[in-house]
Amino acid sequence: MTDSLVEVQNLSKAFPVAGGAKVHAVENVSLQIGRGETLAVVGESGCGKSTLAHLIIRLLDPTSGTVLLDGDDITDLGQRALRPHRQKMQIIFQDPFASLDPRRPVGRAVGEPLLIHKKASGATADTLVEELFHLVGLEGSMMRQYPHQFSGGQRQRICIARALALEPELVIADEAVSALDVSVQAQVVNLMMDLQQDMGLSYLFISHDLAVVERISHRVAVMYLGQIVELGPRSAIFENPQHSYTKRLLSAVPIADPRKRVERPLLTDEIPSPLWGPGTAPNHVELVEIEPGHFAAIEE
Amino acid sequence: MSSSSPLLSVRGLTVSFDDFVAVDGLSFDLHEGETVAIVGESGSGKSVTALSIMRLVTLGTRASIDDGEILFRRPDGSVIDLVTQPEDVLRDIRGNQISMIFQEPLTSLNPVYTVGNQVAEAVMLHQGLDRAAAQQRALEMLERVRIPEAANRLKQYPHEMSGGMRQRVMIAMALSCDPTVLIADEPTTALDVTIQAQILGLMRELQHETNAAVILITHDMGVVAEVADQVVVMNRSKLVEAGPVLNIFEFPEQDYTKALLASVPRLGSMAGTTEPARFDLVDYES
Repeated sequence: MTDSLVEVQNLSKAFPVAGGAKVHAVENVSLQIGRGETLAVVGESGCGKSTLAHLIIRLLDPTSGTVLLDGDDITDLGQRALRPHRQKMQIIFQDPFASLDPRRPVGRAVGEPLLIHKKASGATADTLVEELFHLVGLEGSMMRQYPHQFSGGQRQRICIARALALEPELVIADEAVSALDVSVQAQVVNLMMDLQQDMGLSYLFISHDLAVVERISHRVAVMYLGQIVELGPRSAIFENPQHSYTKRLLSAVPIADPRKRVERPLLTDEIPSPLWGPGTAPNHVELVEIEPGHFAAIEE
Repeated sequence: MSSSSPLLSVRGLTVSFDDFVAVDGLSFDLHEGETVAIVGESGSGKSVTALSIMRLVTLGTRASIDDGEILFRRPDGSVIDLVTQPEDVLRDIRGNQISMIFQEPLTSLNPVYTVGNQVAEAVMLHQGLDRAAAQQRALEMLERVRIPEAANRLKQYPHEMSGGMRQRVMIAMALSCDPTVLIADEPTTALDVTIQAQILGLMRELQHETNAAVILITHDMGVVAEVADQVVVMNRSKLVEAGPVLNIFEFPEQDYTKALLASVPRLGSMAGTTEPARFDLVDYES
């Protein structure tokens, strides 16, 4: 028995497109998320990182593979059977404005999970919602205001409050700080770290921003064309990257220090398509452990 | 080269939308071959500044340029104030002597014309080339922005290209008339980081080749550190401080600049540690 909260085994998702071809968005992914741990999944547009998040939280059904939450196999559970497990996992999206109903006071949005899961109602629910607002650094009186009355950073705090209403064990943050201004982003990242300390939360932190990932994560998975090509402790990935794609991603990040300017090669190569024709499929990469807990794909 | 006579000089620019002052008394200079980065967070007025220089800000909006001047030295040496120029003069300058690229290339390209036609349009309009010569120029420009198989790409439509290739097309279009000033408004913000690195490298190389001056609008301090010569920091419509890039990063004078820099995640700052760490934020009361 491990102390993993989430265990993903050989998870795949292929989306059929016209003509019998398939987009292999997630291909044979295996990973664990420990309790109180932040696992970051990094990669570029279309690498499958959001699809992976949606598979884990069962917003999408996998083509194959299993998802274990707290040791329970939730891969094939129906909506009703899934409900008690849903309490344990919540998701925050990139755009908080799109995640909040413009015509309802934000307090109602934050309290809704409590009502749905019959955790509280009436005055008790209001008290809990007020506590949640305080938890994320907002005034309780803001409960009665509407989404448009808040800034982007405040809205994302509201979405975090809603995600925490059911005291989940896992919070998936899908580019949750990407749309925020840098000073607000830093505040929200700090809030997420504080909440992790206080509540023992696990995070699956999906991001394309390696500098933010370096701050927040314990471990990092690098995805490329639907597969994990490198996985390991954050320090190993950032200080001792092995896979050529990890190295390329890291070297592409602009450094906020004018003394460290680098020459950029005038490349024009781009990431190939994850679209595979009828009867064809990508080869599975093979990960080898190169130091304890640090896995990298073998390259030709 | 001469520091005495800037190519573009913005002096006391004030732009408002009804009662809201979006740019308040902004001044800065731009010299040949130089990159000035205007940085700030959402709503600080940086894009309105760019649109004011192009004199696009008042088109179809309730914005007005209330005060200030934007002095531009034309290739013939004459200096004009863009704020007071009539539309026909501006039309000769936009896309010709001063051109602009935006964040999202897909919304800047016309979906029903091939990219070749769109690049050719600018040179036909401004330089009076005929269709065949303009197509030839479009091909040269696509090659110049290092688009592989440029001749085939000319016949493609924007949706057939990736985001990085589309931004290359936008750059090709913007540079097709050899402008002396290029305004780039968040040109790499919508791109993946490896593609961003390619585009930044390309822009630097092209600037070297053409000696164009660049005004780079961005919120990304990493991009600023990598490409800017001069930095103008804006907050809430006003200039906070301005200076050479090294000074701004290493000796920021204003509290706002210090707070902004403290909140920037820097790759490599966590080297030698294993646990996550909070940002050490600087309090800034606005």
